[in-house]
Amino acid sequence: MSTTAIRVNGKATGTVTVTEVQVLPPQHWVDDNPSLRKITDDIAGAMEARPGKGWWICFGIAFAALLNLGGMVTYLFAKGIGVWGLNNSVGWAFDITNFVFWVGIGHAGTLISAILLLFRQQWRTSINRSAEAMTIFAVMCAGMFPAIHMGRPWDAFFIFPYPNHRGPLWVNFRSPLVWDVFAISTYLTISLVFWYLGMIPDLATLRDRTTNKIKKFIYGLLSLGWNGSHRTWTRYEIVSLVLAGLATPLVLSVHSIVSMDFATSLLPGWHTTIFPPYFVAGAIYSGFGMVLMLLIITRYTMNLQRYITMRHLDKMAKVTMLTGMIVSYAYLTEFFAAWYGGNIYEQYHFINRATGPYAWCFYLMVLCNVIAPQMLWLKKARSSIAFLFVFSIMVNIGMWFERFVIIVVSLHRAFLPSGWGMFYPTAIDIGVLVGSFGLFFTCFLLFIRVLPMIAMWEIKGVVGHGAHKMALSSDDEERKVVNA
Amino acid sequence: MPKSFVVATYSDAETLVSAVRAVRQQNFRVYDVYAPYPIHGMDEALGVRRSRLPWVTFVVGLMGLTFALTLQFYTTVLDWPLNVGGKPDNSTLAFLPICFELTVLLSGLATVAALFVRARLFPGKKEQIIAEGITNDTFALVVRQRDSSFDINRVWKILEESGADRVREREAEL
Amino acid sequence: MSHTGESGGVKSSCKGPKEQLVQIGEPAYWKSVDELHNGPRYTGEFPGGLPASSSRTEATRRDFLALMGFSLAAVGLAGCRAPVQNAIPFLVGSDQIIPGVSNWYATTCRGCASSCSLLVKQRDGRPIKIEGNSASAIFGSGTCATGQATVLSLYDDERLRGPLWHGKPAKWEEIDQHVLESLTSALAAKQQVVLLSGTITSPSTKEIIAEWGKRDPNFRHVVYDAVSLSAMRAANAQSFGQAAIPHYSFDKARIIVGLEADFLGTWLSPVEFARQYAANRKPEGTPSLHVQFESGMSVTGSNADVRVPLAPSQLGAVAVALLRRIQRKAGAAVVAGGDDPVDAKKLDAIADELWKHRGESLVVSGSNDVAVQVVVNTLNSTLGNIGKTIDLTHPSLQRSGDDAAMAELVEKLHRGEIHTLVMYGVNPGYDYPDAGRFLEGLDKVALSISFSDRRDETSSHAHAICPDHHFLEAWGDAEPVETNFSLAQPLIAPLFDTRAAQTSLLKWLAHEQPDYYAYLREYWQKNMFPRQKELQSFEPFWERSVQDGVVVLPSTHAAAEPKFHGDWKPAVDKILEDAKNAQASTKDDHYELHVYESVPLRDGRHANNPWLLELPDPVSKVSWGNYAAVAPALAKKLNLSDGDVVRLKTSKGDAELPVFIQPGQGPGTISAALGFGRKQVGRAGQNVGVNAYPLTSMENGSHRYSAMNVQVERTGRSEKIGSTQTHFSMEGRPIVLETTLEELHKGAEAHEEALPTLWAERLHGEHSWGMAIDMNACTGCSACVVACQAENNVPVVGKDQIERTRIMHWIRIDRYYSGPEENPVSVHQPMMCQHCQNAPCETVCPVLATTTSSEGLNQQVYNRCIGTRYCANNCPYKVRRFNWYNYTENPQFDFNMDNPLGRMVLNPDVAVRSRGVMEKCSLCVQRIQLAKDTALQGKRELADGDIQTACQQACPTQAIIFGDLKDPNSRVSQMHRNQRNYQVLEDLGTRPNIGYLKKVRNPLETT
Repeated sequence: MSTTAIRVNGKATGTVTVTEVQVLPPQHWVDDNPSLRKITDDIAGAMEARPGKGWWICFGIAFAALLNLGGMVTYLFAKGIGVWGLNNSVGWAFDITNFVFWVGIGHAGTLISAILLLFRQQWRTSINRSAEAMTIFAVMCAGMFPAIHMGRPWDAFFIFPYPNHRGPLWVNFRSPLVWDVFAISTYLTISLVFWYLGMIPDLATLRDRTTNKIKKFIYGLLSLGWNGSHRTWTRYEIVSLVLAGLATPLVLSVHSIVSMDFATSLLPGWHTTIFPPYFVAGAIYSGFGMVLMLLIITRYTMNLQRYITMRHLDKMAKVTMLTGMIVSYAYLTEFFAAWYGGNIYEQYHFINRATGPYAWCFYLMVLCNVIAPQMLWLKKARSSIAFLFVFSIMVNIGMWFERFVIIVVSLHRAFLPSGWGMFYPTAIDIGVLVGSFGLFFTCFLLFIRVLPMIAMWEIKGVVGHGAHKMALSSDDEERKVVNA
Repeated sequence: MPKSFVVATYSDAETLVSAVRAVRQQNFRVYDVYAPYPIHGMDEALGVRRSRLPWVTFVVGLMGLTFALTLQFYTTVLDWPLNVGGKPDNSTLAFLPICFELTVLLSGLATVAALFVRARLFPGKKEQIIAEGITNDTFALVVRQRDSSFDINRVWKILEESGADRVREREAEL
Repeated sequence: MSHTGESGGVKSSCKGPKEQLVQIGEPAYWKSVDELHNGPRYTGEFPGGLPASSSRTEATRRDFLALMGFSLAAVGLAGCRAPVQNAIPFLVGSDQIIPGVSNWYATTCRGCASSCSLLVKQRDGRPIKIEGNSASAIFGSGTCATGQATVLSLYDDERLRGPLWHGKPAKWEEIDQHVLESLTSALAAKQQVVLLSGTITSPSTKEIIAEWGKRDPNFRHVVYDAVSLSAMRAANAQSFGQAAIPHYSFDKARIIVGLEADFLGTWLSPVEFARQYAANRKPEGTPSLHVQFESGMSVTGSNADVRVPLAPSQLGAVAVALLRRIQRKAGAAVVAGGDDPVDAKKLDAIADELWKHRGESLVVSGSNDVAVQVVVNTLNSTLGNIGKTIDLTHPSLQRSGDDAAMAELVEKLHRGEIHTLVMYGVNPGYDYPDAGRFLEGLDKVALSISFSDRRDETSSHAHAICPDHHFLEAWGDAEPVETNFSLAQPLIAPLFDTRAAQTSLLKWLAHEQPDYYAYLREYWQKNMFPRQKELQSFEPFWERSVQDGVVVLPSTHAAAEPKFHGDWKPAVDKILEDAKNAQASTKDDHYELHVYESVPLRDGRHANNPWLLELPDPVSKVSWGNYAAVAPALAKKLNLSDGDVVRLKTSKGDAELPVFIQPGQGPGTISAALGFGRKQVGRAGQNVGVNAYPLTSMENGSHRYSAMNVQVERTGRSEKIGSTQTHFSMEGRPIVLETTLEELHKGAEAHEEALPTLWAERLHGEHSWGMAIDMNACTGCSACVVACQAENNVPVVGKDQIERTRIMHWIRIDRYYSGPEENPVSVHQPMMCQHCQNAPCETVCPVLATTTSSEGLNQQVYNRCIGTRYCANNCPYKVRRFNWYNYTENPQFDFNMDNPLGRMVLNPDVAVRSRGVMEKCSLCVQRIQLAKDTALQGKRELADGDIQTACQQACPTQAIIFGDLKDPNSRVSQMHRNQRNYQVLEDLGTRPNIGYLKKVRNPLETT
């Protein structure tokens, strides 16, 4: 990886110099202005070509991890939750940490495709497709954990409010866990729909390109007989806008609700009002970290440097830095509130967080989420692929540990000192965590092979020619600004 | 029953837009325009009204909200009230998250469904590609020849003048 | 009458269920305890009468299933010689047994020699729960943890199925023949026959032994207690001319001074003493002052008002120092020389108190050193306590071991002077200081017989093992304290081909009445019946005695209060000598050792009882093993940390134990618990912990439980210590609230009004169940923990799970320290589900598996629970227990629920929880339901006290009160109105239904 990174670096600086001359709008989000046909060939071609060695290696590792997950979960179901390191004091640890972690990752996608769409950010066009895919896979991973963390997973369906003969016994709509069920499933569904809707025109393109009968059939089925009629395009864009409008509050709601699992409890360290915004910021931070990582990988494995440019990475880095700083601020606020609030349990918790047996987790989290993003003030850092890649990994580590600290450190020393205990992960704990990454990357690597990982039609719209760009381009406004 | 059309293909959006304007100035109706991406300014050129699909979103959204509220109220207050942590049966505040989620879920799905119905998009539909490369890099302007009074030569002329790469007659089921 | 459980037990072959049931059920006049107190109770087949509620109908269905599941197996087991699995249905019912309805029978505990009177719950032919017999004036309704657990030993899979001859199964007849032959030859050859037994409190058994003595001049009876008070008997012989253990009255004492006597935990008669102790420590009255001098941190010490840690060698010196002061005040001849081993001011203050309360003070010592006991006697008699707090006219018969005789026996064995050795209730192969020497001697006898119920360290070396019944299968009687008798009757026909030891003795004695039951009746007819006047004929007397279980009969001899005529001078000199030598000989890298009886396992006889193995030590909270307790200072000095394994070397032997840092541990002293490290006992107890007996010694005729010049070597190894509580400080949180006596007497501080709540009060049904726990009465003895485990089918999870803090106990006793770690103040707090009215656990459960019942109970619905553990996370009291694995029927964990025999102990009224569900204290909802049904049946209102939770019932000090908070006059309501009442973590607004009464401190002012 590193060697490529260095080679990458050379190229990258090259492109950067290009960006520096292009000061005035219209700013181009695709390098050396390819023709429409070229765009199709580049993007579709990349996925039609036989996969390279790099892809096979990545896929091999990811798939092995996925198999490991299968084994671990089977063992877990056979023996019981006891195979994890949980105990009477610490009832949640890796399981819910992983859940919150993956939900967080799952936020960047819809944020990019929905919120940036509403803000008319053109740079989203190159990355939204893969970001949305990432969202869906991440939410899949997340959804797995509430199911397997149950003592009796075979009764998991109890948490759905379905008419039944148990009295009838419904669910407890006051429980944040039930809110989670609705939030996560809604989020997954809407993201899936949004993702698919966005792909229809490209699927049509593939359908019309391919000569392979089976592919043609499948793409044909999926593209719903799309034929590029403008009357459909208009409706299509309206619906995209509406969905974006719906998805935007949804993104914010999902992690807010997840945070309520903790905020609505009375545990010191959980019972905090700032959790919803704090969690959302964290989610975007980790999500962008993950997107950054994936883009850096894919643009080289699929050589799409023309479409995923340094300027994209630069924008991403800036968003990550901002959200990182919001997160840091939240950390400070927590400590301040604990001190200022004068609640002895709260105070003890935060002293314990910074000095207790799990203090190292806390400091690791501070390093990754507070200190690391500060480097991004430097353009040098933002334009160094190698740094961004390392940084993106740090973001993920940091955010995982943030959740671990919130969950385990709060639980292991709660109100009654007689109930205090320690949590030590078992091999199964770690195996399941690794396995979830396996599931995620397997899905993602398959995705980039069979579906257009960049929205061709949107790129075409952005590249466009002359004045008549895609409806949602914001360049006209920009130009007005410049003329004025 | 297949209808017959005059189809002009273009290689870029600008000429297409001007062509549309030209055709309509001559009081011909442009049947439709086909493009690899939505073209800015084409709506005005074609004079298509803004879609009413958002109303579906709004109405179904309201329905979703009502459904969520009724479901939660019925189950926790009417059907089987239980003393949960000494809280009142009707803990409305605690019901809000689910109200929101259901509203979004149902309205979102409904909107997309409505689009598919309105635009007649469904799996297995045989695509009608009016000209080669529409989904790649070709743009097309289509005028339908309705009856004998339809002056095909004039249209043809207008189109050729509008800078079309190629003009031809075609039968299709659009 | 001729057809008795006993004879039934002897008759072999599998009989029809009816007959078995008749055996279990008869005689016809046995009645239930409620009948004893409240008159007739059960009528008709269904206790609940007409279904009172929908839940009730379900309950009966469940009862029925439970019946199918358990009782059938039970009958099969009861009916046959070995546990057979084929179900034998209740074809013919019995007027004694109504399926699903429990009967209660009075009997006597044999868990230790204290011989507490019991009432045992028998359900569908199986004894499943032990409770104290409130009819007993001595012991009351309470029990100890060990007693509670004895019912499980009945179903111990390791028990022998029948007699063994040279390790092979044999017929009783054969063995009897061999024994008789050997005995006759011994008689002919005038060779010695010895019966080696533990303390026997049964007068009839003593009579049998006496008869044997009469018949054979060469017969000797040696009484050997692993943990003996033989020095005290010797001392009393010197001081009062009476080799007996006095009967103490802690309730009459205004000041109690304990010298290494753990009378609330294990010493002599803990249940009785705990009861007395609590009786006059009620802060509302004038509580007694309790001073404890001890080397280890014992339950008793943890309850003392003043606790002085010291080295065992200084114990005598303390007694002397006190004696000197008292004698000065008495103006008697004064002990000369010797300096105060502890702070003189403290001693002065204590002496003042003692003197102030002459005649109502009490000094007790657990020391097994005659000299110390003599000085203690001197103290007590100088203080005029004899006849007041100390009763020698009706002595306690609960310990009669004679160390000297035992030592002599071992030597005789070695010289091959013993022909036949019969061992009854002893295991010297494990607990004799020099076990090896005893076993060598044992091999030299012509015939050795053991009555042990299993192959253990001793019986496995014996020629014959003639397994005795478990006491729940046996007839018997006991006289724990003179004139106070307690009878024992079988609750189930013998499960295996066992035979009462007494029957064996009678047979070998060639007695004309070889059936012990018949013998017992005759004995009582001859000796006990005449001693009472009210009943003219024996039958009714016997009936009543058996039904009540307790009988008090006038003394046979004139009550002449013995006078102290001993000479204390030599004793004092010896003590001062020893103390001096101790200081001289103790090099600074040598330490003192003190071994003590473990509260759960006692002397080790219960070492295979999973409930007791899992029960944490009341003070250290360590379960599944013993440890070398060292003071924090010493640990720092040797830089030892918890779990470091050290080798303790005494002049006699050595042992490798993990270190446990124990605040309050005597300086320079290391304590280790006895009762662990059994080599041959069974699956559960095998090699749990380390045997500390080899560290003890026999010194001039008495068993020394301490040693000097002990070397401590680290082995470099480290072991995990399974502790159920790892943090001992309250971190200044309002968990256990304390007040002082004068504050209390100043009157109630204005009780601040209840915290505001966001929601309107939710109305309950006709009751609102609540509990009050008096922190002042709780001694931490942990009887409630085992009682709860027995009542609610709480699984045993084993050491590994304990290390992972996954204990399942529904009630735990939190123990917190405050003050300096070299001698902290401790407090015990029973903690179970607080049944909050605004329960945090309920709000977060996604599936409504836990809700508040109409009667204010926080109820857990196992069938609905999916195990998200959210409730446990949100419970501020951490009282919810999760089934991490399938603990039942799983050889990996449980040691009784994993085999069909052990499962017979399960309570059919309580569901056995499956893997993956949450569970917790239900306030014994099944008992509530039963009491309601009974009231309904009797067409009466539910009265306060009808319902006793298992923990409340077991508590010897009445620290727990359960009742209806709706009823303003119920005891629980009154206690909730008590000015001491508070709720744990009140400020969280969870509004628990459990109230705690503040601990009251009564410090001793030292001027």
